[in-house]
Amino acid sequence: MAAPVSFFNAAFGLSLAALAAYSAGYIFKKSFPVSGAHLAMGLAWLALTTGLGLLWARLGHPPLSNQYESLLTLLWFLFPLAFYYRRAGKPESMPAAALAACLFFGTAALLDRTMRPLMPALRSNWLLIHGLSSMAAYAAFALAAAAAAWALCKKRAEASEDFLLRLTKAGFAFLTLGIITGAVWADTAWGAWWSWDPKETWSLLTWLAYAAALHLRKKGFNGSKFGIILLACFALVLFTYFGVNFLLSGMHSYG
Amino acid sequence: MLNFISSLRLFFSLCLALAGIFIYQTIFNRGTPVYGSAWFAALGVLVAVNLAACALRRAKTASAPFLFLHAGLVVIILGAFATRFYRFEAQLPLHAGQASSLAYNNSGSYELPFSVKLENLRLEYYAEPLGLLTVEEDGGSKIFAAKEGAVIRAAGGEIRVLRLFRDFGLNAKNEVVEKSPYWHNPAARLEISAGGKKKKLWFFGNFPGRHGQDLPFKVHYGLERAEIKNFTSAVTVSSGTGTGLRGEIAVNRPLKVGAYSLYQTSYDPADAGYSLLTVTLDRGRWAVYAGFIILLTGVLLWLRR
Repeated sequence: MAAPVSFFNAAFGLSLAALAAYSAGYIFKKSFPVSGAHLAMGLAWLALTTGLGLLWARLGHPPLSNQYESLLTLLWFLFPLAFYYRRAGKPESMPAAALAACLFFGTAALLDRTMRPLMPALRSNWLLIHGLSSMAAYAAFALAAAAAAWALCKKRAEASEDFLLRLTKAGFAFLTLGIITGAVWADTAWGAWWSWDPKETWSLLTWLAYAAALHLRKKGFNGSKFGIILLACFALVLFTYFGVNFLLSGMHSYG
Repeated sequence: MLNFISSLRLFFSLCLALAGIFIYQTIFNRGTPVYGSAWFAALGVLVAVNLAACALRRAKTASAPFLFLHAGLVVIILGAFATRFYRFEAQLPLHAGQASSLAYNNSGSYELPFSVKLENLRLEYYAEPLGLLTVEEDGGSKIFAAKEGAVIRAAGGEIRVLRLFRDFGLNAKNEVVEKSPYWHNPAARLEISAGGKKKKLWFFGNFPGRHGQDLPFKVHYGLERAEIKNFTSAVTVSSGTGTGLRGEIAVNRPLKVGAYSLYQTSYDPADAGYSLLTVTLDRGRWAVYAGFIILLTGVLLWLRR
């Protein structure tokens, strides 16, 4: 059986090529590099899907038990989200996804990829539900942040606002589901639906930040201001996802 | 006043205050957590009042998603307060073959309305752990599977594996015995021949580095594939009426006893017959769960708009 990591490396390479092609298309104002970039993104997602399938088969459980596995699962959501919004008339979703994918594949390459059996606390069907909803939320927020950065660079934040709002709403819905399923799982495993564990607390803080961002938009924080707010909110997502694990100890220290 | 209580300005102020508190608590505070303080509870009340006032003020004109979202959050906060003030949690330490109804927490000990007898604690591994001997000499190291009777030849001498123990212990007569069937204290009895002399020595997986000075090479005994898959307590629960309920408690598989729930918390590798359970009674959780359902309904309706 081929090593999953070779498929992840292929997906990383294709994402880098796609980002380069999107940039070339933007700089030289040509359409043919963009078509090639779309194809590269599609192939990258196929390679990632194959790699994740192989990894799941080897592990015997969903690839969500540590940061390396969960980051790859997050990436898996990124591509379909971008394709969906491209079909919905938001072509800027594709370069944004390529940018986010390159950054996350690069980060994944630095993480510990040792395969270990599941610890008893993680042996539950809630792992799949809680893990997938949380990673889907982070993927939507990552795409929104990358799209906001891309739009701010191109000074097209106003034109992208509807797209950014839809992505933020999707991420907020998934994050709500992730927090709730995490609370129900914690109640089943430890007898407490909320323990003020650092990961829980920072997830709540992230949720509050996006709730505030959605309300601020209604109070006139539109266009580039909304884009900047989304970038600030995504900094909280990054701290919740990476910072809490590396800097703070708690019940989520495995991933 | 009502305008301010139901305002977005108050909502943003509360978000900022909570953000500051969460950052202080998780990164800087090394003392008592702020979450148990009266002022933090007061802040929770203020959040609930803000959400409820906002929803009530716009009840006639607001959309269904708006009302569901805000009502769900208010119900969750009310449930959280019920949990905070009425939830019972205590630890129930048990030894195999013994029944106990005494549970302990920071406030003291509690007599439960039932007693729990631990029939046995069962550990399950993903695979049978493998004993490994690592021999280090001349700047290199070699790893060998440890099997009783095996002979390992090194440049500086010879190692014969005499006996292997999963859970090394000594009985009252000072004889070496297996304390349990689990790999808690793996040990190897080795006969080492070097420089024309023979020595019989014990090597322990949990205490590496023994005999380092006495031998021409370094020897370590350790385990591979020793990950625990699950640990399960088989218990019999007896109430005042004398009826016995037999059941099993594992991580992610609590046992309900009336309104109480029993959770598998930990075990002690030094005592294979010991199991620690957590007992909880939390009726507030049902309000919280109701709030979760209302909130999720609101989120789904909001996405469809």
